[in-house]
Amino acid sequence: MSSARYVALASAFVIAAFYTAWAQQGPSATRSVEPTPRLADGTPNLGRVPGEKGVWNVPYIQNMGMRIPGPDGKTTAERGTAAENGGGRGGAKAEPDVPFLPWAGGIYDYNSRNNSKYDPEGYCLPPGGPRLMATPYPMEIIQQPEHKRIFMVFEGATHIWREIYMDGRPHPQGDELNPTYLGHSVGHWEHDTLVVDVVGFNENTWLDYYGHPHTDLLHVIEKFTRSNKTTLRYEAVIDDPGAYSKPWTVAWNIPWSAGGELTEYICQENNRYLLKLTDDFGEPVLGGR
Amino acid sequence: MRTKLLVAAAAITTLLSTAPVAAHHSFAAEFDASKPFKLTGVVTKVEWQNPHTIFSLDITDEQTKKVTNWSFEMGSPNGLMRNGWTRNTLKIGDVVTVEGSLARDGSPYGNAQAVVLASTGTRLFAASSRTDAQ
Repeated sequence: MSSARYVALASAFVIAAFYTAWAQQGPSATRSVEPTPRLADGTPNLGRVPGEKGVWNVPYIQNMGMRIPGPDGKTTAERGTAAENGGGRGGAKAEPDVPFLPWAGGIYDYNSRNNSKYDPEGYCLPPGGPRLMATPYPMEIIQQPEHKRIFMVFEGATHIWREIYMDGRPHPQGDELNPTYLGHSVGHWEHDTLVVDVVGFNENTWLDYYGHPHTDLLHVIEKFTRSNKTTLRYEAVIDDPGAYSKPWTVAWNIPWSAGGELTEYICQENNRYLLKLTDDFGEPVLGGR
Repeated sequence: MRTKLLVAAAAITTLLSTAPVAAHHSFAAEFDASKPFKLTGVVTKVEWQNPHTIFSLDITDEQTKKVTNWSFEMGSPNGLMRNGWTRNTLKIGDVVTVEGSLARDGSPYGNAQAVVLASTGTRLFAASSRTDAQ
Protein backbone atom coordinates (compact mmCIF):
# COMPACT_ATOMS: atom_id res chain seq x y z
CA MET A 1 0.00 0.00 0.00
CA SER A 2 1.39 3.42 -0.94
CA SER A 3 1.91 6.08 1.67
CA ALA A 4 -0.74 8.30 0.13
CA ARG A 5 -3.29 5.50 0.09
CA TYR A 6 -2.48 4.62 3.69
CA VAL A 7 -3.02 8.20 4.78
CA ALA A 8 -6.27 8.32 2.78
CA LEU A 9 -7.43 5.16 4.51
CA ALA A 10 -6.55 6.52 7.93
CA SER A 11 -8.34 9.77 7.12
CA ALA A 12 -11.40 7.86 5.95
CA PHE A 13 -11.43 6.00 9.24
CA VAL A 14 -11.29 9.25 11.18
CA ILE A 15 -14.14 10.71 9.11
CA ALA A 16 -16.16 7.53 9.55
CA ALA A 17 -15.55 7.61 13.28
CA PHE A 18 -16.67 11.25 13.46
CA TYR A 19 -19.76 10.39 11.44
CA THR A 20 -20.58 7.50 13.73
CA ALA A 21 -20.19 9.72 16.79
CA TRP A 22 -22.41 12.34 15.19
CA ALA A 23 -24.98 9.83 13.98
CA GLN A 24 -25.43 8.47 17.49
CA GLN A 25 -26.36 11.91 18.77
CA GLY A 26 -27.74 13.81 15.78
CA PRO A 27 -31.52 14.23 15.83
CA SER A 28 -31.86 13.81 12.07
CA ALA A 29 -29.73 10.69 11.75
CA THR A 30 -32.46 8.35 10.62
CA ARG A 31 -30.84 6.79 7.57
CA SER A 32 -28.22 4.67 9.31
CA VAL A 33 -30.27 3.93 12.44
CA GLU A 34 -31.27 0.34 13.08
CA PRO A 35 -34.76 -0.32 14.48
CA THR A 36 -35.52 -1.19 18.08
CA PRO A 37 -34.53 -4.82 18.72
CA ARG A 38 -37.31 -6.98 20.14
CA LEU A 39 -37.70 -10.16 22.15
CA ALA A 40 -39.50 -13.16 20.65
CA ASP A 41 -42.86 -11.97 22.00
CA GLY A 42 -42.43 -8.51 20.49
CA THR A 43 -41.46 -6.71 23.70
CA PRO A 44 -38.66 -4.17 23.11
CA ASN A 45 -35.26 -5.64 23.93
CA LEU A 46 -33.49 -3.10 26.17
CA GLY A 47 -30.29 -5.11 26.16
CA ARG A 48 -28.00 -6.96 23.80
CA VAL A 49 -28.98 -8.67 20.59
CA PRO A 50 -27.95 -12.35 20.70
CA GLY A 51 -24.42 -12.78 19.41
CA GLU A 52 -23.46 -9.15 19.97
CA LYS A 53 -21.86 -7.20 22.80
CA GLY A 54 -22.84 -3.71 23.86
CA VAL A 55 -23.60 -1.52 26.88
CA TRP A 56 -25.50 1.71 27.56
CA ASN A 57 -23.00 4.53 27.85
CA VAL A 58 -24.54 6.45 30.75
CA PRO A 59 -23.78 10.17 30.37
CA TYR A 60 -22.45 12.42 33.12
CA ILE A 61 -25.50 14.59 33.79
CA GLN A 62 -24.43 17.10 36.40
CA ASN A 63 -27.43 19.40 36.68
CA MET A 64 -30.96 18.07 36.23
CA GLY A 65 -32.22 21.66 36.23
CA MET A 66 -30.89 21.80 32.66
CA ARG A 67 -32.75 18.61 31.70
CA ILE A 68 -36.36 19.71 32.03
CA PRO A 69 -38.21 19.24 28.71
CA GLY A 70 -39.95 22.35 27.39
CA PRO A 71 -43.08 22.52 25.23
CA ASP A 72 -41.08 21.20 22.26
CA GLY A 73 -39.95 18.16 24.26
CA LYS A 74 -36.33 19.33 24.26
CA THR A 75 -34.39 20.25 27.36
CA THR A 76 -32.24 23.34 27.83
CA ALA A 77 -29.17 21.16 27.41
CA GLU A 78 -30.52 19.65 24.18
CA ARG A 79 -31.30 23.09 22.76
CA GLY A 80 -27.67 23.99 23.34
CA THR A 81 -28.50 27.30 24.94
CA ALA A 82 -26.47 26.63 28.06
CA ALA A 83 -23.32 24.72 28.85
CA GLU A 84 -24.19 21.17 27.94
CA ASN A 85 -24.13 19.79 31.42
CA GLY A 86 -23.80 22.54 33.92
CA GLY A 87 -25.56 25.73 32.97
CA GLY A 88 -23.64 27.68 35.57
CA ARG A 89 -24.00 27.55 39.33
CA GLY A 90 -26.48 30.29 39.99
CA GLY A 91 -28.32 28.34 42.66
CA ALA A 92 -32.10 28.04 42.98
CA LYS A 93 -32.92 31.47 41.57
CA ALA A 94 -31.22 30.52 38.28
CA GLU A 95 -33.58 27.55 37.87
CA PRO A 96 -37.15 28.89 37.84
CA ASP A 97 -38.44 25.63 36.32
CA VAL A 98 -37.40 23.64 39.41
CA PRO A 99 -40.26 24.00 41.96
CA PHE A 100 -38.07 24.22 45.07
CA LEU A 101 -39.69 24.49 48.48
CA PRO A 102 -37.81 27.27 50.36
CA TRP A 103 -35.65 24.94 52.46
CA ALA A 104 -34.73 22.86 49.39
CA GLY A 105 -33.73 26.02 47.50
CA GLY A 106 -31.59 27.03 50.46
CA ILE A 107 -29.81 23.67 50.56
CA TYR A 108 -29.30 23.82 46.79
CA ASP A 109 -27.75 27.29 47.09
CA TYR A 110 -25.41 25.98 49.79
CA ASN A 111 -24.34 23.05 47.60
CA SER A 112 -23.82 25.47 44.70
CA ARG A 113 -21.64 27.81 46.74
CA ASN A 114 -19.31 25.07 47.97
CA ASN A 115 -19.01 23.35 44.58
CA SER A 116 -20.79 20.18 45.77
CA LYS A 117 -18.06 19.55 48.32
CA TYR A 118 -20.30 17.21 50.33
CA ASP A 119 -21.69 15.22 47.39
CA PRO A 120 -22.53 11.73 48.74
CA GLU A 121 -20.99 10.19 45.61
CA GLY A 122 -17.71 11.68 46.79
CA TYR A 123 -18.13 9.45 49.85
CA CYS A 124 -18.50 6.49 47.43
CA LEU A 125 -22.17 6.18 48.36
CA PRO A 126 -24.50 5.10 45.56
CA PRO A 127 -26.70 7.49 43.62
CA GLY A 128 -30.44 7.28 44.26
CA GLY A 129 -33.36 7.89 41.97
CA PRO A 130 -32.72 9.25 38.49
CA ARG A 131 -29.05 9.85 39.25
CA LEU A 132 -28.47 6.16 38.53
CA MET A 133 -28.87 7.04 34.87
CA ALA A 134 -26.72 10.18 35.18
CA THR A 135 -23.53 8.78 36.71
CA PRO A 136 -20.75 7.27 34.59
CA TYR A 137 -19.81 4.47 33.77
CA PRO A 138 -21.75 2.10 31.44
CA MET A 139 -24.71 -0.08 32.46
CA GLU A 140 -26.70 -3.01 31.09
CA ILE A 141 -30.39 -3.88 31.19
CA ILE A 142 -31.09 -7.60 31.46
CA GLN A 143 -34.69 -8.74 30.94
CA GLN A 144 -35.94 -11.99 32.43
CA PRO A 145 -39.57 -12.20 31.28
CA GLU A 146 -39.75 -15.83 32.39
CA HIS A 147 -39.05 -14.64 35.93
CA LYS A 148 -41.10 -11.44 35.54
CA ARG A 149 -38.20 -9.22 36.50
CA ILE A 150 -35.62 -6.90 34.95
CA PHE A 151 -32.10 -6.29 36.22
CA MET A 152 -30.13 -3.12 35.73
CA VAL A 153 -26.42 -3.59 36.29
CA PHE A 154 -24.19 -0.55 36.75
CA GLU A 155 -20.42 -0.55 36.41
CA GLY A 156 -20.21 2.91 37.91
CA ALA A 157 -22.31 4.47 40.61
CA THR A 158 -20.42 2.24 43.04
CA HIS A 159 -20.79 -0.96 41.01
CA ILE A 160 -24.40 -1.65 41.91
CA TRP A 161 -27.46 -3.39 40.52
CA ARG A 162 -31.20 -2.95 40.89
CA GLU A 163 -34.09 -5.33 40.39
CA ILE A 164 -37.38 -4.19 38.91
CA TYR A 165 -40.35 -6.42 39.77
CA MET A 166 -42.53 -7.04 36.71
CA ASP A 167 -44.91 -9.49 38.43
CA GLY A 168 -47.57 -6.94 39.31
CA ARG A 169 -46.80 -6.75 43.01
CA PRO A 170 -47.55 -3.48 44.84
CA HIS A 171 -45.03 -1.46 46.82
CA PRO A 172 -44.72 -2.52 50.48
CA GLN A 173 -46.82 -0.37 52.77
CA GLY A 174 -46.15 1.27 56.11
CA ASP A 175 -43.23 -0.06 58.13
CA GLU A 176 -42.63 -2.75 55.53
CA LEU A 177 -41.32 -0.09 53.17
CA ASN A 178 -37.81 0.10 54.54
CA PRO A 179 -35.92 3.11 53.13
CA THR A 180 -33.01 2.15 50.86
CA TYR A 181 -30.59 3.90 48.52
CA LEU A 182 -32.24 2.67 45.33
CA GLY A 183 -35.80 2.32 46.59
CA HIS A 184 -38.42 -0.28 45.68
CA SER A 185 -39.04 -0.58 41.94
CA VAL A 186 -42.09 -2.07 40.21
CA GLY A 187 -42.45 -1.94 36.45
CA HIS A 188 -44.82 -2.52 33.58
CA TRP A 189 -44.90 -1.94 29.84
CA GLU A 190 -46.95 0.83 28.25
CA HIS A 191 -46.73 0.06 24.53
CA ASP A 192 -42.98 0.19 23.86
CA THR A 193 -42.04 2.06 27.02
CA LEU A 194 -40.91 0.44 30.26
CA VAL A 195 -42.49 2.40 33.12
CA VAL A 196 -40.93 1.95 36.55
CA ASP A 197 -42.47 3.29 39.75
CA VAL A 198 -40.01 3.77 42.60
CA VAL A 199 -40.62 4.67 46.26
CA GLY A 200 -38.87 3.95 49.55
CA PHE A 201 -35.72 6.05 49.14
CA ASN A 202 -33.57 7.00 52.10
CA GLU A 203 -32.26 10.58 52.41
CA ASN A 204 -28.57 9.79 51.99
CA THR A 205 -28.37 10.78 48.32
CA TRP A 206 -28.71 13.83 46.10
CA LEU A 207 -30.72 13.93 42.87
CA ASP A 208 -27.62 15.04 40.93
CA TYR A 209 -24.05 16.25 41.24
CA TYR A 210 -25.20 19.86 41.51
CA GLY A 211 -26.98 18.97 44.72
CA HIS A 212 -30.75 19.11 44.18
CA PRO A 213 -31.98 17.59 47.46
CA HIS A 214 -34.77 15.13 48.11
CA THR A 215 -36.58 13.61 51.10
CA ASP A 216 -37.81 10.09 51.86
CA LEU A 217 -41.17 11.12 50.38
CA LEU A 218 -39.50 10.94 46.97
CA HIS A 219 -41.56 9.06 44.38
CA VAL A 220 -39.96 8.61 40.94
CA ILE A 221 -41.72 7.45 37.79
CA GLU A 222 -39.16 6.41 35.20
CA LYS A 223 -39.77 5.79 31.52
CA PHE A 224 -37.28 3.84 29.40
CA THR A 225 -37.89 3.92 25.64
CA ARG A 226 -35.46 2.34 23.17
CA SER A 227 -36.48 4.46 20.19
CA ASN A 228 -33.92 2.74 17.97
CA LYS A 229 -31.11 0.28 18.48
CA THR A 230 -28.59 2.89 19.61
CA THR A 231 -30.74 5.28 21.66
CA LEU A 232 -32.43 4.87 25.03
CA ARG A 233 -34.65 7.82 25.93
CA TYR A 234 -34.80 8.19 29.69
CA GLU A 235 -37.44 10.26 31.43
CA ALA A 236 -38.09 10.62 35.16
CA VAL A 237 -40.87 12.38 37.01
CA ILE A 238 -39.54 13.63 40.34
CA ASP A 239 -42.43 13.80 42.79
CA ASP A 240 -41.23 14.78 46.25
CA PRO A 241 -43.70 16.89 48.25
CA GLY A 242 -41.08 17.12 50.99
CA ALA A 243 -38.74 19.18 48.82
CA TYR A 244 -40.67 20.43 45.78
CA SER A 245 -44.07 22.13 45.45
CA LYS A 246 -45.08 19.99 42.45
CA PRO A 247 -43.68 17.10 40.36
CA TRP A 248 -41.08 17.99 37.74
CA THR A 249 -39.72 15.97 34.85
CA VAL A 250 -36.20 15.42 33.56
CA ALA A 251 -35.10 13.60 30.40
CA TRP A 252 -32.04 12.75 28.35
CA ASN A 253 -30.78 10.22 25.82
CA ILE A 254 -28.40 7.39 26.65
CA PRO A 255 -26.31 6.14 23.72
CA TRP A 256 -25.59 2.48 23.01
CA SER A 257 -21.92 1.56 22.91
CA ALA A 258 -21.70 -1.33 20.45
CA GLY A 259 -19.08 -3.87 21.44
CA GLY A 260 -18.78 -2.47 24.94
CA GLU A 261 -18.57 -4.63 28.06
CA LEU A 262 -18.77 -3.82 31.75
CA THR A 263 -15.57 -3.78 33.78
CA GLU A 264 -14.92 -3.33 37.49
CA TYR A 265 -15.18 -0.10 39.48
CA ILE A 266 -14.89 -0.31 43.27
CA CYS A 267 -15.04 3.27 44.47
CA GLN A 268 -14.44 2.40 48.13
CA GLU A 269 -10.92 1.06 47.59
CA ASN A 270 -8.79 4.11 48.40
CA ASN A 271 -11.03 7.14 48.74
CA ARG A 272 -8.50 9.79 49.70
CA TYR A 273 -11.01 12.55 49.03
CA LEU A 274 -13.05 11.46 52.03
CA LEU A 275 -9.93 11.07 54.18
CA LYS A 276 -8.96 14.67 53.41
CA LEU A 277 -12.46 16.16 53.57
CA THR A 278 -12.98 18.91 56.14
CA ASP A 279 -16.24 20.50 57.26
CA ASP A 280 -17.14 24.19 57.13
CA PHE A 281 -15.17 24.77 60.34
CA GLY A 282 -12.04 23.12 59.00
CA GLU A 283 -12.46 19.98 61.10
CA PRO A 284 -11.98 16.54 59.50
CA VAL A 285 -15.31 15.02 58.51
CA LEU A 286 -14.07 11.63 59.64
CA GLY A 287 -13.17 12.86 63.13
CA GLY A 288 -9.46 13.25 62.58
CA ARG A 289 -8.73 9.76 61.47
CA MET B 1 3.95 10.27 6.11
CA ARG B 2 4.74 9.36 9.68
CA THR B 3 3.59 12.77 10.90
CA LYS B 4 0.28 12.46 9.06
CA LEU B 5 -0.34 9.05 10.55
CA LEU B 6 0.38 10.41 14.00
CA VAL B 7 -2.10 13.23 13.39
CA ALA B 8 -4.70 10.67 12.36
CA ALA B 9 -3.93 8.58 15.42
CA ALA B 10 -4.26 11.65 17.62
CA ALA B 11 -7.66 12.41 16.11
CA ILE B 12 -8.81 8.87 16.78
CA THR B 13 -7.50 9.07 20.33
CA THR B 14 -9.45 12.29 20.83
CA LEU B 15 -12.62 10.52 19.76
CA LEU B 16 -12.01 7.66 22.15
CA SER B 17 -11.42 10.11 24.95
CA THR B 18 -15.06 11.21 24.79
CA ALA B 19 -15.96 8.16 26.87
CA PRO B 20 -17.43 9.15 30.25
CA VAL B 21 -14.97 10.48 32.75
CA ALA B 22 -14.67 9.65 36.40
CA ALA B 23 -17.21 11.50 38.44
CA HIS B 24 -16.67 10.24 41.91
CA HIS B 25 -16.11 13.51 43.72
CA SER B 26 -16.35 17.19 43.14
CA PHE B 27 -13.50 18.32 40.89
CA ALA B 28 -14.12 21.97 41.68
CA ALA B 29 -14.04 21.47 45.45
CA GLU B 30 -10.51 20.07 45.35
CA PHE B 31 -8.89 21.51 42.21
CA ASP B 32 -8.75 24.91 40.54
CA ALA B 33 -9.38 24.81 36.77
CA SER B 34 -7.97 28.34 36.52
CA LYS B 35 -4.58 27.05 37.69
CA PRO B 36 -3.34 24.80 34.90
CA PHE B 37 0.10 23.21 35.11
CA LYS B 38 2.52 21.35 32.88
CA LEU B 39 5.24 19.56 34.83
CA THR B 40 7.93 17.03 33.92
CA GLY B 41 9.51 14.59 36.32
CA VAL B 42 10.58 11.05 37.14
CA VAL B 43 7.99 8.49 38.23
CA THR B 44 8.55 7.34 41.85
CA LYS B 45 5.25 5.57 42.61
CA VAL B 46 2.14 4.30 40.85
CA GLU B 47 -1.02 3.32 42.76
CA TRP B 48 -3.31 1.59 40.24
CA GLN B 49 -6.43 1.92 42.39
CA ASN B 50 -10.06 3.06 42.66
CA PRO B 51 -11.51 5.56 42.70
CA HIS B 52 -8.41 7.31 41.39
CA THR B 53 -5.13 6.00 40.13
CA ILE B 54 -2.46 8.19 41.72
CA PHE B 55 1.14 8.48 40.62
CA SER B 56 4.05 10.44 42.06
CA LEU B 57 6.88 12.28 40.34
CA ASP B 58 10.17 13.72 41.56
CA ILE B 59 10.20 17.16 39.98
CA THR B 60 13.36 19.27 40.02
CA ASP B 61 13.02 23.04 40.18
CA GLU B 62 15.07 24.39 37.28
CA GLN B 63 16.42 27.32 39.24
CA THR B 64 16.94 26.05 42.77
CA LYS B 65 17.58 22.39 41.75
CA LYS B 66 15.41 21.44 44.71
CA VAL B 67 13.52 18.17 44.19
CA THR B 68 9.86 17.98 45.26
CA ASN B 69 7.74 14.84 45.19
CA TRP B 70 4.37 15.61 43.57
CA SER B 71 1.32 13.37 43.27
CA PHE B 72 -1.31 13.41 40.56
CA GLU B 73 -4.81 12.02 40.52
CA MET B 74 -6.18 10.39 37.38
CA GLY B 75 -9.36 8.44 36.69
CA SER B 76 -10.08 4.93 37.95
CA PRO B 77 -8.54 1.86 36.27
CA ASN B 78 -11.71 1.10 34.26
CA GLY B 79 -11.75 4.62 32.80
CA LEU B 80 -8.01 4.60 32.17
CA MET B 81 -8.14 1.23 30.39
CA ARG B 82 -10.82 2.60 28.05
CA ASN B 83 -8.38 5.41 27.28
CA GLY B 84 -5.57 3.03 26.35
CA TRP B 85 -3.79 2.62 29.68
CA THR B 86 -2.55 -0.54 31.34
CA ARG B 87 -1.16 -0.87 34.86
CA ASN B 88 2.32 -0.89 33.32
CA THR B 89 1.96 2.23 31.19
CA LEU B 90 3.85 4.17 33.86
CA LYS B 91 6.89 2.55 35.40
CA ILE B 92 9.13 3.77 38.19
CA GLY B 93 11.98 5.72 36.65
CA ASP B 94 10.05 6.80 33.54
CA VAL B 95 10.22 10.46 32.59
CA VAL B 96 6.76 11.91 31.93
CA THR B 97 5.12 15.29 31.41
CA VAL B 98 1.76 15.89 33.11
CA GLU B 99 -0.85 18.50 32.25
CA GLY B 100 -3.75 19.30 34.53
CA SER B 101 -5.10 21.53 37.30
CA LEU B 102 -3.49 22.33 40.65
CA ALA B 103 -5.01 21.51 44.04
CA ARG B 104 -6.73 24.43 45.74
CA ASP B 105 -4.89 23.84 49.03
CA GLY B 106 -1.49 24.66 47.53
CA SER B 107 -0.04 21.22 48.19
CA PRO B 108 2.13 19.45 45.56
CA TYR B 109 -0.92 17.67 44.21
CA GLY B 110 -2.80 17.97 40.96
CA ASN B 111 -5.55 16.55 38.82
CA ALA B 112 -3.96 15.11 35.68
CA GLN B 113 -5.79 15.51 32.39
CA ALA B 114 -3.08 14.23 30.04
CA VAL B 115 0.22 12.41 30.43
CA VAL B 116 2.98 12.38 27.80
CA LEU B 117 5.56 9.61 27.96
CA ALA B 118 9.00 11.09 27.20
CA SER B 119 10.39 7.83 25.81
CA THR B 120 7.81 7.49 23.04
CA GLY B 121 6.03 10.84 22.88
CA THR B 122 2.75 9.02 23.43
CA ARG B 123 0.05 11.28 24.84
CA LEU B 124 -2.58 9.60 27.01
CA PHE B 125 -5.75 11.09 28.43
CA ALA B 126 -6.05 10.61 32.15
CA ALA B 127 -9.83 10.04 32.49
CA SER B 128 -9.94 13.18 34.62
CA SER B 129 -12.98 14.10 36.69
CA ARG B 130 -12.83 17.61 35.22
CA THR B 131 -15.40 18.47 32.57
CA ASP B 132 -15.62 21.60 30.46
CA ALA B 133 -18.96 22.39 32.02
CA GLN B 134 -17.25 22.98 35.32
